[in-house]
Amino acid sequence: MIRVARYQLTRPVLFVALPLATLACVFAVDVGRGGDTFRGGLAVVLLMFFVTGLQRTGRWLPFGLALGATRRSFYAGTALLGVSMSLLYGLVIAGLQAIERATDGWGLSVTCFRSPHLLNGPWYATWLTSFVGLSALFLYGMWFGIVNRRWGMLGLIAFIALQVLVGLAVMFAYPNVGGHLDSLDGLDLTGVTAALAVVFLAGGHATVRRVTV
Amino acid sequence: MREMAGLDEGTPLFAQVAERLAAEIADGGLAEGERVPSTNELAAFYRINPATAAKGINVLADEGLLDKRRGIGMFVAAGSRATLLARRRAGFTERYVEPLLTEATRLGIGSEELIALIKECSDERRGVAV
Amino acid sequence: MTPAVSVTGLTRRYPDHVALDDVHLTIGTETITGLLGRNGAGKTTLLRILAGQEFPSSGSVHVLGSPPAENENVLRRLVLVREDQEYPDYQGYPDFKVSHALRAASFCYQNWDAGLASSLLEDFGLRANKAVKSLSRGQRSALGITIGLAARAEVTLFDEPYAGLDAVARQVFYDRLLAEYADFPRTVVLSTHLIDEAAALFENVVVIDRGRVVLDAAADGLRGMVTAVSGPVLAVDSFTQGRPVWERRGLGSQASVVMVGQLSGEDRERARSLGLDLAPLSLQQLVARAPGWAVGAGSLTERTSV
Repeated sequence: MIRVARYQLTRPVLFVALPLATLACVFAVDVGRGGDTFRGGLAVVLLMFFVTGLQRTGRWLPFGLALGATRRSFYAGTALLGVSMSLLYGLVIAGLQAIERATDGWGLSVTCFRSPHLLNGPWYATWLTSFVGLSALFLYGMWFGIVNRRWGMLGLIAFIALQVLVGLAVMFAYPNVGGHLDSLDGLDLTGVTAALAVVFLAGGHATVRRVTV
Repeated sequence: MREMAGLDEGTPLFAQVAERLAAEIADGGLAEGERVPSTNELAAFYRINPATAAKGINVLADEGLLDKRRGIGMFVAAGSRATLLARRRAGFTERYVEPLLTEATRLGIGSEELIALIKECSDERRGVAV
Repeated sequence: MTPAVSVTGLTRRYPDHVALDDVHLTIGTETITGLLGRNGAGKTTLLRILAGQEFPSSGSVHVLGSPPAENENVLRRLVLVREDQEYPDYQGYPDFKVSHALRAASFCYQNWDAGLASSLLEDFGLRANKAVKSLSRGQRSALGITIGLAARAEVTLFDEPYAGLDAVARQVFYDRLLAEYADFPRTVVLSTHLIDEAAALFENVVVIDRGRVVLDAAADGLRGMVTAVSGPVLAVDSFTQGRPVWERRGLGSQASVVMVGQLSGEDRERARSLGLDLAPLSLQQLVARAPGWAVGAGSLTERTSV
């Protein structure tokens, strides 16, 4: 499993530096724009984690298996790496948030790292929320990558369709879900995200068991 | 087809390896007491599987033509040259004389004519050599 | 000694065809075995199953004593070189290079020899800082071969690894393979359709046709086993009487027949006296006829001890 993590890190630059660079760019853009652009910037980072998760399974799986990794250890190693990165980046975000607060929006009243619902609390709460959120997205991306590997484009479409159906079913059963989620404050939402992350973890793992390349 | 230092398609390679080594010993190319190329060396030279090369060597070893010295390798046994030459002599009739007669018969060359041809050829050679 | 590979009743079914059908096979440790057969015969499927990349539909597969699928203990001692290997690739990001592939492999194989890897790259004229996605087909093959040999894995499987390599480069591969095998004996299985080039490397050959094993024999013993006999019809018939015959062709007073059985010195002499021409079939020619084997194939089978 550790070997898989090392394998994924063959190009450490991409795993570490790129998200950092993206964060920097996002920040620069936000400052440029000024004002209340609280969600936009971070969303990009979230997306990045999703895409990375996707690529790390979609593209790295064949060679990983060729080098003798088992599917389970490949999955575990990659997930471990993603989660570790989330932990790290969560900390970075929390740190930047603290600085932002201290400088009152970097002197320009920018609220890049703060938002009313999610990132309003103490630094460790921010860390936790970011960590869980980024992890969930990474694992989600991983699952997509594996589904694509196993069942191709058709499988991917079916996968998405299935999720839409599930989403619709939930909304049908619980008509207030939308409003309910909105009214949840930071920590509760984190809980929901964490639950989703676990679902993604289990799902991805189950799907990877019989994937062939 | 890749050329393999002259090994042919028609007979098992190990036998050909054995034959070539035997020929080398008989011709004096490999002296008695001299080390014979190792399995790996033969395999690399002929570009064949080491197990095949080993089999060829073992054929000669089983016939007592090679001595094994543990840790060092295979060496040409004493008296092997004589043995091989004697063997070749014994096979001379079968390998050369019979086919010669067969072909001669096919072409309608009688024994007397054949003997004359042999003499002629022999004289020519001696003439050239001297 | 436990055989390196032991397969019993292996079947692999796909929705539209059966790739492997009740395959029984044993491969001894520290041997070089040729896996031969036409395209689509099932060689690739077999190798992928041995490497744990594919799953059997039924039957049992043991590599180094246990099933290879999802088995860390076996897989880290095994390497499969495929001609269609996919490497990690980013779009728009800095590229995954040859050197990265080698580095990744070095993490995964404990016997990895970096010196050998560099030397092989040099032999093939492959630069380490070239992006994998920009490699030509031949260069990709060279990379695969480099990884396969430098891994020094106990079980090394090659699935037609020389796509795009010219004859000179292929010879480099064969020579390096032999040298490596001599220095670090391992179990090698090489699947190829360029049979005659590699024939002398094999200790054993396994021929697969339409998912079934049709021949499993010592390679050297097959030499001279099958001969094309041609000449006057009556002479041919007389010579081949009582022997298994595969093909027969005739033109006027001449006939040509493919005959099974080793020829002794006497046989050759007799053929000569009958005015017959004898041409031994090469391994390639033998395998090409695999679908048509009816008679005498049984007599081809002998095995070196495992």
